[in-house]
Amino acid sequence: MTTAPHNILEVRNIQTFIGQFHILDGVSVDVPDGSITVLLGRNGAGKTTTLKSILGLTPPRAGQVVFNGREIQGRPAYRTAAQGIGYVPEHRAIFRDLSVAENLRIAERKPGDLARREEFIFGLFPDLKRLIRLPGGNLSGGQQQMLAVARALVPENELLLIDEPSEGLAPVVIEQMMEAIRRLSAHTTVLLVEQNFIMASRLADRYTIIETGRSIHSGLMADLVHDEATIQRYLGAAA
Amino acid sequence: MTSIWKNNRAALIIVALTVVILGGIIQTMEPKVWVSIMLSGATLASLYFLVASGLSLIFGLMDVLNFAHGVLFVLGAYVGLSTFLNPRLLFNTLPIFFVLIASIMMSQHLGRAFWSRITDTRTRRIATVVLLAAAVGLVLLALRGFPMRALNAFNITAVGGLVTTANAQDPLALMLRRLLLLALGGVPLGLLLSPAERPEEVSLRPVWQTALIAGTSALIGILLLVWRDSGEVWMLALSPDVRFILALIMGTVAGALGGVAIETGLIRPFYGNPVTQLVLTLGLSIAGIDLIEAMWGEEANPPMPTPSLFNESCRSDSIIGWFSEHCQSVDVVGRAFPTYRLFIILVGVLVFIGVGLMLRRTRLGMIIRAGVQDSEMVQALGINVRRVFTMVFALGSALAAMGGVIAAPYLGVFPAMGSIFQLQAFIAVVIGGMGSFIGAAVGTVILGMARAFGDHFVAAGIDLPFLDTVIKGSPAIARASTVLIMAIVLLVKPSGIFGKKE
Repeated sequence: MTTAPHNILEVRNIQTFIGQFHILDGVSVDVPDGSITVLLGRNGAGKTTTLKSILGLTPPRAGQVVFNGREIQGRPAYRTAAQGIGYVPEHRAIFRDLSVAENLRIAERKPGDLARREEFIFGLFPDLKRLIRLPGGNLSGGQQQMLAVARALVPENELLLIDEPSEGLAPVVIEQMMEAIRRLSAHTTVLLVEQNFIMASRLADRYTIIETGRSIHSGLMADLVHDEATIQRYLGAAA
Repeated sequence: MTSIWKNNRAALIIVALTVVILGGIIQTMEPKVWVSIMLSGATLASLYFLVASGLSLIFGLMDVLNFAHGVLFVLGAYVGLSTFLNPRLLFNTLPIFFVLIASIMMSQHLGRAFWSRITDTRTRRIATVVLLAAAVGLVLLALRGFPMRALNAFNITAVGGLVTTANAQDPLALMLRRLLLLALGGVPLGLLLSPAERPEEVSLRPVWQTALIAGTSALIGILLLVWRDSGEVWMLALSPDVRFILALIMGTVAGALGGVAIETGLIRPFYGNPVTQLVLTLGLSIAGIDLIEAMWGEEANPPMPTPSLFNESCRSDSIIGWFSEHCQSVDVVGRAFPTYRLFIILVGVLVFIGVGLMLRRTRLGMIIRAGVQDSEMVQALGINVRRVFTMVFALGSALAAMGGVIAAPYLGVFPAMGSIFQLQAFIAVVIGGMGSFIGAAVGTVILGMARAFGDHFVAAGIDLPFLDTVIKGSPAIARASTVLIMAIVLLVKPSGIFGKKE
């Protein structure tokens, strides 16, 4: 028996370039199965690029991404996603011209996915049910964020990559979002990017701090919240 | 309901304005005049639409401005014409393409391994030059002395006086030798088209699949060649109606295959590099026409014959009468209008409905609409968006080529026939909004009508009630009218009537 908890995802020292810019210069993240892990760091540190590199949208030039024990770096993003990774991007990326129902249906990987998960999804986000016929573009920011998370829940994903779920939302909606993420994390592992340290600290089990393209610190969230020095030094105003 | 108004305010205003202007113009005319002008406009609009719809979908989904789209229109017309009148040309030339494409595909697939072994930039550059020279040399050698002119011979397969088939075509053994050389020439070409730097841009199809597709392609080519004589006899014995349908199918399929070849060979290796794609399609728009001229000659061909449904030299009183009489023209409020042009309009409407339903009702359509907005997100959902790109490119190209075939009896067939449609389709897409299917339809209708009314304005002038003399426009005004409309629409709404992208 292994003593260490099983990691569903291990990012090992990845290097990512966008055009000529060296964005990630050695990022490593471990995501234990069943956890909520959060990537912390200042704006432009490379948190979003880390998520995109895991998925293969910005493929890393070096390093490994190990998902469920298999190296997946260098594969096209659609294959990686189809392995069971859901993605909720920054700014939500709702399909504005598609109805809410279509936004959900397009995420099906096999017919009937939506029917199977409907109860769970509408249990988390009851509002979506009555908006089902509206075009995605007519939803409010909070509703779009819920739809983006719901869309990632349609297929049976083992891991969700969620980028800044609280961005631009009203405090009441942020509370709802946090509650939803906490509830869905009972079913799937979550890797979160979150600038809002209060939200991050209340949700996450583990953290990794990224600074100028490098992962420099990681550990248990329970330890970080008492470590004023680290918070001040790397997260500054965010705390 | 208020949301519909809010989302499409500009569109509704422009449509309302168009209706008011049109209504005003119509007021000054007799019904038989404006109805026939509008039908002429609809005929043009239908042909514009077949080009513009694909252009718009391709731009919307892939951000590729396909300047070679007009070439596909011309290709469709020529392939259709040859299917109808000159099948021996196809039997002798199609094998060349099938074999060349098979060889290119195979070597493009294996090219990744080839280039990954050469890491030195200098060696790579030398290899590129050597491969290019080898490719050009082998292809030229393979086609040296190919009897293109004889095969062409006025684009009609001889039944007597002209060059007979036996004299026009090369002996089988020589043709097979040519094919062998072409297959060899395809190897360096495929290596050149294999992207060295970005292996992730090439599909990860297993090698046996590529081999299967390439093998089938080569086999079809060789079978066509071997059966060329009996095939020609069989085709010429078919009734003109069947041949027309065959021409429509062949032209459309040629367009679809051309589209797949352009997308996989020229566009796919360069996603994320739009300037290269633009230059490549622009280059192809010139080289493609040159290729067509090399194959079919530079001279204009007379219009393709129409099916017997539109052939009787009479004038039906109504559409109902035409069903039994099959007249060339039909009476529309007191004026004769060619029935074949009604067929062109019908094809445009059917394509609009068919593709519209596909976009609204099918999963593929849903993926296309989503991809127009954010193809990266579609990919992140686990959907192979590149495959959808190829399908849409094939669909758009097929529609343009189909437009070429149905235009062939109306316009005649000549190398420059696509350029005007390409240009008008571009303008229509800009007016309607890049990436919007409805926009392409509305844009083409506006342009078709503007052109038809403009031509009438030039020919007959407008007799305003408060003026003594009839005002006549110059032909330049009629031509410029479409660009003027575009300028006005862009001033009101820079993204086009239904446009969402900037």
